[in-house]
Amino acid sequence: MIEAAGRATIRRLPEALANRIAAGEVVERPAAAVKELVENAIDAGASRIEVRIEGGGVDLIQVEDDGGGIPGDELAVAVERHATSKLKDERLVVIETLGFRGEALPAIAAVGRLALTSRTPSCPHALCLAVEGGRPAPPRPAPGALGTRVEVRDLFFNVPARRKFLKSTRREGELVVDVLKRLALAWPGVAFRLEVDGREAFRVPAESEALLGLGPERLRLVMGRDFLENAAEVEAERDGVRLVGLAGLPTLSRNHGRLQHLIVNRRPVEDRLLRAALRVAYADLLFHDRQPLAVLRLDLPFDAVDVNVHPAKAEVRFKDAGAVRGLVVGALKSTLARHGHRVATSVGGAALARMRPNVSAHASAPVGLAEADAAFAFQAPVGGDEGPWVRLDGAAVPGPVPVPGVEGPLGTARAQLFDAYVVSETGRGLVLVDMHAAHERIVYEGLKAELEAGGVRRQALLIPDVVELEPPERAVLLDHAGELRRLGLVVEPFGDAVVVREAPALLGQAPLAPLLRDLAEDLAETGEALALERGLFAALSRMACHGSIRSGRRLTLGEMDALLRRMETTLYSGQCNHGRPTHVALDRADIERLFDRR
Amino acid sequence: MQRNANRTKPMKLVIERAALLKSLSHVQNVVERRNTIPILANVKLDAQGERLGLTATDMELSLAASEPARVAEPGMTTVSAHTFFDIARKLPDGSEIALEQAEGSGEVTLQAGRSVFTLPSLPGDEFPAMAFEDLDVRFRVPVEDLKRLIDKTRFAISTEETRYYLNGIYLHAAKAGATSTLRAVATDGHRLARVEVDLPEGAKDMPAVIVPRKTVAEIRKLIEGIEGEVQIAVSPSRIQFMLERAILVSRLIDGTFPDYERVIPTGNDKAAVLEAKPFADAVDRVATISTERARAVKLRFEPGRATVSAVSTEAGRAVEEIDADYAGEPLEIGFNARYILDMMAEIDGGQVRVEMANAAAPTLVRDPGDAGTAYVLMPMRV
Repeated sequence: MIEAAGRATIRRLPEALANRIAAGEVVERPAAAVKELVENAIDAGASRIEVRIEGGGVDLIQVEDDGGGIPGDELAVAVERHATSKLKDERLVVIETLGFRGEALPAIAAVGRLALTSRTPSCPHALCLAVEGGRPAPPRPAPGALGTRVEVRDLFFNVPARRKFLKSTRREGELVVDVLKRLALAWPGVAFRLEVDGREAFRVPAESEALLGLGPERLRLVMGRDFLENAAEVEAERDGVRLVGLAGLPTLSRNHGRLQHLIVNRRPVEDRLLRAALRVAYADLLFHDRQPLAVLRLDLPFDAVDVNVHPAKAEVRFKDAGAVRGLVVGALKSTLARHGHRVATSVGGAALARMRPNVSAHASAPVGLAEADAAFAFQAPVGGDEGPWVRLDGAAVPGPVPVPGVEGPLGTARAQLFDAYVVSETGRGLVLVDMHAAHERIVYEGLKAELEAGGVRRQALLIPDVVELEPPERAVLLDHAGELRRLGLVVEPFGDAVVVREAPALLGQAPLAPLLRDLAEDLAETGEALALERGLFAALSRMACHGSIRSGRRLTLGEMDALLRRMETTLYSGQCNHGRPTHVALDRADIERLFDRR
Repeated sequence: MQRNANRTKPMKLVIERAALLKSLSHVQNVVERRNTIPILANVKLDAQGERLGLTATDMELSLAASEPARVAEPGMTTVSAHTFFDIARKLPDGSEIALEQAEGSGEVTLQAGRSVFTLPSLPGDEFPAMAFEDLDVRFRVPVEDLKRLIDKTRFAISTEETRYYLNGIYLHAAKAGATSTLRAVATDGHRLARVEVDLPEGAKDMPAVIVPRKTVAEIRKLIEGIEGEVQIAVSPSRIQFMLERAILVSRLIDGTFPDYERVIPTGNDKAAVLEAKPFADAVDRVATISTERARAVKLRFEPGRATVSAVSTEAGRAVEEIDADYAGEPLEIGFNARYILDMMAEIDGGQVRVEMANAAAPTLVRDPGDAGTAYVLMPMRV
């Protein structure tokens, strides 16, 4: 019962309670505790980290490393709030370690039964410090190897409210797996092992610097087996900011963004800016609701990024966000342009799987690095990686047309099926081409190039459209007025609203108010006028669809070859305007396997 | 269905196919192809005296017509408009059509020669009637004037639904100097058309109204091929057109038409007079090159001549020169070719006068032989 009991007095909270409240910021669930403890282990220079959890991490979390250990006389200090060995720069500008606030251990100690066992090289035995509900007992000698082992039992035993809001044991366990996989992705030089309720969930070795130092084993673990084969390398560097990563082919998309991993200075983060960059780079290649796969690692000077903006450090803030975005978008776009005609091999794999209903689903042998490289080489466009037709702005430049009879990567046309598909034979196997989808992309890229060359024509409005907007929407639109003008939209301030004076003629009489609102959102989020480009490209796309050959049209071999050759020199010819694959490759080996010849 | 059927009243009549078709072809036009309210797909049949009344509505407008018939039993019912029309259309010339509905029956029997159709019906008294309320202002307009008001403006009606107040013709009484006029204006925000006729007697106090596009189309069809006058009655929310054999009632668009007079330029000092047909033909030919949807053409005026041109990176270039009576500074200005052609189709005189200020400002186009019309085009900019 709530009673009208007069005014409550203001009082200072007991320290233990205050610590428990603060702990909730850092440790909101078992996975968060695991993250903090594993980051400590990494900061301690571990080369091998083993994690065990029981009961979703509530019953037990144990993190064991082979790092430098904690000297005996520092053990007790380690579990006090705001005690850390890591922060060397008290201005918080240069933060080189994952942790720096001195919050993790005391926070965990405040909400669980903590045992900290550690041994440094100079000490003949390990020391163990037990903490319960924030009160440490004196350290006592204990057996233990070099490094640190942290054990947390009965997490949230004294915070019933927190415990009540945990998800199922299974779900909490999955979240721990996710956290650890992300850390493994960020630290290829460290071996990781996770045991859930006595069973090994995964294990990855410490990996060398192969594949841009990203660690192929962990990529396969986190991103799935198809990813390595169907991703393109991204590499760029500018002003001390270095980007490496792998960008999935557009045809390998998903309907969720969970396979977009972003690592900033070795810290797995959720970052709107990087996600937005992905959206911009893939804007014209994917259906609206599809999400690309990507692993991107950004390394930049420690003082160019602020990691101290989120209690769990899941977000970062860049000093020069525009430059970082530009670098990432530019690198992704040029990579995609180079690999734009590739179609995910998983598409062909799926087709093959359908063809052998009687064979148990024995998947093809795991693809090694060498094979992946070979696939890259095969799929590379005519003229090598840096062909003269690659332009970063996405416009297609007519490239060299191969001499007829000389086979390109898409091979020689052999036949047409169902008046809709072209069958072509290549050095490696056969390729099936959806001729309408392929031609549509070719026509579309042509129209886009025409638009870029000729400029966007603007229809002046006799009755200017006054659009009421929220102040931030209005501000961001007017800030980008110059760029919008280039895309055919002339906006000016009009009291608290904006007035549209001229609109792209290509859009006809489309209503402008919704377009402006979408634009404001895009500009605020990504800095690019995606909605407008999308509107223009959608108009082009409709024209492309009408202007391209339809199924039902019979082609001669010469016409089919010409289509293949144009696909090879057209940007993004791997998918049609709607994101569907334009062709599927089947390896000769796979075909032979269908007939048990291999 | 049974409940409805019991309420139907008997009806029996014979009508000539030709007479029926004359009205039914107009009336069934009003019926939308898809309806969520079943009875709106029907046409109401009302046999009274020596006539058969036919009514259809889409709740926005209602069209009623009547034709002579031999009524044996006066009554009322409704049947599917499109089915009824298709049957009547396919019956041989000169047929006599007998329609009959028994009391309490949910079906209408249609018999002509040796053909018999049985159509499901819905009761006539459930048919939504558009109230013929007291309409404040009544006046008569010559059919020729009404045609002119519609033909010279309807091409500029907007089809974009968010600016719904542009989805019709703005009809109102106006003053042009000393004479009073009845004026029609339409615009889609890119161009505008204005035309006026002498103000009919009794129209002085008419409210300014926006007549919806569909109503404009229907009344235009009804007055095709007839002569004489149309009686118009109008209130701020309704307009009613009364013809000899039909009445069209329509709701009006509830909105404010923009202050169009402000966008009609008055000080454009660069005027060119062109031969109308050669100009339209040149624009049409040159626009062949403009492959994109917004078919841009460029006009260049120099003393004595004008050049129409178009450029496309894919389809090439085109240039055509025409004579022009122009004395100003050379001026280049771009337009959507379709906008020019739509407008030129309504210029009846042999010449057209183009009054410009610069490449970004509204351009006024007039028919020198027709002082009552004015067109405004916004340029296209590259």
